[in-house]
Amino acid sequence: MIESHGRSVERLLRELQERAKELACLYRVTEILGRGAPTVEDAVRAVLAALPTGWQYPNVCVARAELGRHLFEPESFRPSPWVQSAPIAVRGQPVGRLEIYYTEERPSADEGPFLAEERKLLETVAERLGHYVAEREANVAPRGARHPGDSGWGVILEFLRQTDRVLLGRVGRRMIVHLCWNGVAQAEELLRRIAPGGGEPGPLEENQPLPRARPVADAETTEAAFRLAPEHLSDDEILALIQGWIREEKTTFLKRAAERSDTPLPELVDALQRFRQGGIEEADLSTATQLGLRASLARRFLTDQLGVVNLAKQALSVADFHDLAQRLVAPTRSHGRIGGKSAGLYLAAKIVERAREYSATLGEIRVPSSWYVPSDGILDFLNYNDLAEVHSRKYLEPERIRLEYPHLVQLFKSAFFSPEILRGLGAVLDDLEGRPIIVRSSSLLEDRLGSAFSGKYKSLFLANTGSKRERLAALTDAIAEVYASVFAPDPIEYRARRGFLDMHEEMGILIQEVVGRRFGDYFLPVFSGVAFSNNEFRWSARIRREDGLLRLVPGLGTRAVDRLADDYPVLIAPGQPGLRVNQTAEEAQRYSPKKLDVVNLRSGAFETIEVAQLLAAHGAELPLARQLLSVVDQDRLRRLDGLVDFARDPLVVTFDGLVRDTDFVARMRALLDLLRDRLETPVDVEFACDGEALYLLQCRPQGSTLGDRPATIPADLPPERVLFTANRYVSNGHVPDLTHVVYVDPDAYARLEQGRLREVGRAVGRLNRLLPKRGFALMGPGRWGSRGDVRLGVPVGYADISNAAVLIEMARARGGYVPDLSFGTHFFQDLVESSIRYLPLYPDDPQVRFAESFFTGRANQLARLAPDLADLAEVVRVIDVREATGGLVLQVLMNGELDRAVGLLTPATDSGGADGSPAGGWGGAVSAEWRGEDHWLWRQRMAERLADQIDAERFGVIAVYLAGSARSASAGPASDIDLVVHLRPELPPERRRELETWLDGWSRALAEVNYLRTGVARERLLDLHWLGAAVADGGIETLPEGARRLALGGRRAG
Amino acid sequence: MAIRGVNAFDVAQAQFDKVAAMLDLDPATRELLRQPMREYSFAVPVRMDDGAVRIFRGFRVQHNDARGPAKGGIRFHPQETLDTVRALAMWMTWKCAVVDIPLGGGKGGVICDPHHLSEREQEGICRGWVRQLARNVGPVSDVPAPDVMTSGKHMLWMLDEFEAIHGGHYPGFITGKPVGAGGSQGRTEATGYGVVYTIREALKQLGLRPDQTRASVQGFGNVAQYAIRLYREIGGTVTCVSSWDNEAQQAVSFRKGEGIDPDELVGVTDRFGGIDQAKARDLGYEILPGDAWLEQPVEILIPSALENQLDGDNAPRVKPTVKLIAEGANGPTTPDADKVFAERGILLIPDFLANAGGVTCSYYEQVQSNMNMYWPKDEVLGRLDLTMTAAYHAVAELAQRRKLALRDAAYVISISRVAQACHERGWV
Repeated sequence: MIESHGRSVERLLRELQERAKELACLYRVTEILGRGAPTVEDAVRAVLAALPTGWQYPNVCVARAELGRHLFEPESFRPSPWVQSAPIAVRGQPVGRLEIYYTEERPSADEGPFLAEERKLLETVAERLGHYVAEREANVAPRGARHPGDSGWGVILEFLRQTDRVLLGRVGRRMIVHLCWNGVAQAEELLRRIAPGGGEPGPLEENQPLPRARPVADAETTEAAFRLAPEHLSDDEILALIQGWIREEKTTFLKRAAERSDTPLPELVDALQRFRQGGIEEADLSTATQLGLRASLARRFLTDQLGVVNLAKQALSVADFHDLAQRLVAPTRSHGRIGGKSAGLYLAAKIVERAREYSATLGEIRVPSSWYVPSDGILDFLNYNDLAEVHSRKYLEPERIRLEYPHLVQLFKSAFFSPEILRGLGAVLDDLEGRPIIVRSSSLLEDRLGSAFSGKYKSLFLANTGSKRERLAALTDAIAEVYASVFAPDPIEYRARRGFLDMHEEMGILIQEVVGRRFGDYFLPVFSGVAFSNNEFRWSARIRREDGLLRLVPGLGTRAVDRLADDYPVLIAPGQPGLRVNQTAEEAQRYSPKKLDVVNLRSGAFETIEVAQLLAAHGAELPLARQLLSVVDQDRLRRLDGLVDFARDPLVVTFDGLVRDTDFVARMRALLDLLRDRLETPVDVEFACDGEALYLLQCRPQGSTLGDRPATIPADLPPERVLFTANRYVSNGHVPDLTHVVYVDPDAYARLEQGRLREVGRAVGRLNRLLPKRGFALMGPGRWGSRGDVRLGVPVGYADISNAAVLIEMARARGGYVPDLSFGTHFFQDLVESSIRYLPLYPDDPQVRFAESFFTGRANQLARLAPDLADLAEVVRVIDVREATGGLVLQVLMNGELDRAVGLLTPATDSGGADGSPAGGWGGAVSAEWRGEDHWLWRQRMAERLADQIDAERFGVIAVYLAGSARSASAGPASDIDLVVHLRPELPPERRRELETWLDGWSRALAEVNYLRTGVARERLLDLHWLGAAVADGGIETLPEGARRLALGGRRAG
Repeated sequence: MAIRGVNAFDVAQAQFDKVAAMLDLDPATRELLRQPMREYSFAVPVRMDDGAVRIFRGFRVQHNDARGPAKGGIRFHPQETLDTVRALAMWMTWKCAVVDIPLGGGKGGVICDPHHLSEREQEGICRGWVRQLARNVGPVSDVPAPDVMTSGKHMLWMLDEFEAIHGGHYPGFITGKPVGAGGSQGRTEATGYGVVYTIREALKQLGLRPDQTRASVQGFGNVAQYAIRLYREIGGTVTCVSSWDNEAQQAVSFRKGEGIDPDELVGVTDRFGGIDQAKARDLGYEILPGDAWLEQPVEILIPSALENQLDGDNAPRVKPTVKLIAEGANGPTTPDADKVFAERGILLIPDFLANAGGVTCSYYEQVQSNMNMYWPKDEVLGRLDLTMTAAYHAVAELAQRRKLALRDAAYVISISRVAQACHERGWV
């Protein structure tokens, strides 16, 4: 029950706000007069300057005073008709007047444009001035002369008595409670008066709720309390207490608005607005009140994740939420949040802004102009267009979802946004005019699932050119498309697998200016990248985890965020910037970025172009060119000295100059340290540079990237299940479900004659094609891929190991000397881009376990897989883990934090939806991903079905073989199915044509089904080879390696 | 680190012993040439980026300098051993002698992996290496050059340190310097051109005119590209070339019956010699498997990519049209393949003769640096032609006279030249 007496809450709040201003004004006056200014004139001037803040329209408000012969008024003062005036009296004798003028007309209130309370305030101040003058005239020290009724707090109480008795009652009650806590017996007596039932707490039933207390003391009790207070507290203490309580009373409306989850965002924003205008400094509130307020606001605006709320309440002020609120584009009744991605960025930005102790190193780090559509914007969108039924679409069969998705996107794109959202987006476009825009998803589910989920939704770049109408259409189109991606087949499948399908996906939208500059038609940042607190891909034993990792690319950061199939970012460890992955000029060229992502302002499209193309056209305009590029000069790279011909000089992107000549690395390191420190977790930060300033684009906890989390290593592992352990240079990762190990025996390898060492490399390459992709581990001595002496390590190229899940280099001690390992440097960047794990093993270290007999003693499958390699069986051992263990698989759990790894035999992770991984949620996410890669399995089944259906007799088919990627279990969504059809040589041509037609039907049908399963469109899926036909007729002479004969269903021919 | 099994120095000594027996060298000369004359093994302390000091192990082996200052590269390799360096130093002695340039053989190195070192630390190693050896190397005694994991960059640091110690300019102390910083013109072309100079002379010997011949080339890197250019200039036709396709992670051969145009192909080639398949197809090239280059109906094969490319297994697939093989790469032919080619009467120009254009150009760089006067490219390449041609004929003449394979003849001629210098100096 609120004492509203029919008045609206709105009005009450406004009044309370006015009261707050008046009180603040009064404190200020009390302070000025109590401080004892040098002269009376100084004091009067200060009071006059403070007065307007207490009035309703301070901007048009001026104060003036006459005091004896003196006239105090601002320069160029002109009287106006809107005046409020009060006499100043000294010891009962009028000596002057205090006046308030409004310089412009304002709506009329109680007394002309003035409020009745303002009259009280004016009189109170006039009275205080009179007292003050009297004191000064009597030349009596003001402090000594004061008695309770005349002290600062007395004035305030008096003012409250006349203006706001309810507030007075609350303050009185708090004073009573305060006194009680301080053990004042009389106060307890007073408390009983205002307590429910007015007496001793009765013998209440434990479970009976306490009757609700009226939190207000009546006038008499209040007076009693303030008569009691000076006996126990000093004037200053009382004043401070009263001030504090009144301030907190003034925040109640905001607290209530923030705590109630049903306050619509716009109302909450209004409340924030009032709080700001109420003249309350957040710092004046008690710490508990501040934190409580911030936590509630964080929950409402950012996310309900406790961790984030906890950090936000430390890092963000109420004013920050006010600022954030100015950047919301929200539906009228929104209850949404901005989502994890936006929250992470906002939090990080504020932390960076305030980190004074880091500012010398950090320099200025900017954040691009950002706007937010809260998470329920999508619900509003769906409701506004009567599209709510799409929520149930996710329960359809995956094929149907895929089939209907393109229509859904079009449906969304042709739908409308509500007028208030359109208005908001219009304001966004005004703010971001002339700059390209990126529209990113900031989903609530992402927060929950971690960013293994990120990237499943779309981020779209917009050129933001053309008329406002065109720009708005493009923006709404993009938002609609991002909304549609919630219902895209892949995220839905992913959610279904993780058991999150039933949850409504709410997705916030982050609309951000794209950092960069224009080069001809292209818009792009000069460079951008991702920075990680922890380096999970160390290429040298000298790099520690905490040295961090930067992935740098020219142009838009999209190429640094994703692992690249056809290009390489530049890698730098900020803690060891001198240790570069690539050392020779050849390596630096091979692994340098050759392409970059840009926004094409002419076509409006996001494009990938060649670095050379950009340099040739716009190299001379490129800022930081000397920092980004090196020039190839025969066998070395050198910096760009002198004049550069961007079209002709052999330029390579190395970022050498950036590392060598600028403080960039130091700044990035400081940024990572700061954020790790304040966010209490290693972070992963996206950044970009427009050639002048460095911008922070995103910040989230590290480990979000797939597989980068430390694997949990269970304690008390049964020794017989542990194949090996490692305790040096371990990175994070979890490699589940390894069914095979390719083990190159170090001793046998060392004994092998020189000429045959290369055969081992070739054998590994063969096995790489035969074994299931990401289903096997490679273990062997020394430096894999060594280009020098082949004796030092198995001579392989990246193509020979590309399907392995983990590469394990073993450093076996020889003659008391343990060799250095390569850390995979020869193809390090390839390993990174394809997520192949690297682990160095020191089997002779007494601290580790190495079950050598498992690798040397179990049956070697080499001859069975590749009979012609049988003579290498001494050296190359292929162990079928399931066969060797009765169904177990090998898991490699790697924990960089503990610097420990273990190779463990476990049951296979189950193939259902739940996480069966002992490594916990994250490891499970990895295996879930891999379980998704069943493309080869489906292809094998389809091939078997086809063979079963074929009319062998009619078509003269002797046998059908499955070969290629479907056979070797490495098929991807785009792979075809290689079938070898063995025909009777005497088959008449028309029969063969019939067979081809029959198979073509299959091929087209399979391609269609594959499209529905994977989204990869192909016209045909079968790749047919004919055995027994003339070579000229498309025949082949021999069966491809590893081809598997399929059972024919019909009667066999011949 | 002693690895069980083959030791490179053992192999080099065995090879020497075989030729020494053919030459019937006296025991003292054998004893002298089987071993390096001088070996330096020393510590190189380097202050690392983190402030700690690490001690690296450095080597320099001067195998023989009877014919002139020792010449040979400096390797940065984590598994460097003294025996490897010894073997390579000996090989340099023979290589300089076979082209008859007045230099001896040397090699050096540091046990380190530049992949785990910053540029500043590598500079520290270079300067430290020179400080330890400043009195034992120099333009008139021992001239280093780039090798595994070292480049012109490292050479300039070493030169700077050397000159700081000796108080003057001695650009002839080291080779492999960039042009403009004491380097020689023509270094890019030298090896590829050198291969073709020997091919041209071999064709004369075989009685073939270059315009009657076709060639198939493995590799499309620096050596191959310049070999192809010069071979076309003298009238030959290259019908097939293979290159490594980094995207497909396999080698691919490109064939054009009427002859490939290197300029056209370079236009669709990346910096590593990888040719874009689609673009090449548009230019009218046939795309064939990686090893198709070796089974082309041509007269000449030029393997100039990797070692061990022609072995006992694939040698029989070489077409009967082939008359000549020139080893542009180091060790592309295995001993098994050597036998097959010898039986079929194919003339094979061995690597350390065919690709000696590189070391010859290094010699010219040293000569120019010592004079402090630099020649135009034509002069460098003109002299290279003279040197290579003379070297080929000396080897070929001996081979004919003594019924030897060119490979054996080359060893015989170089070892006897070194032995002779030792004798004439009165050492043995």
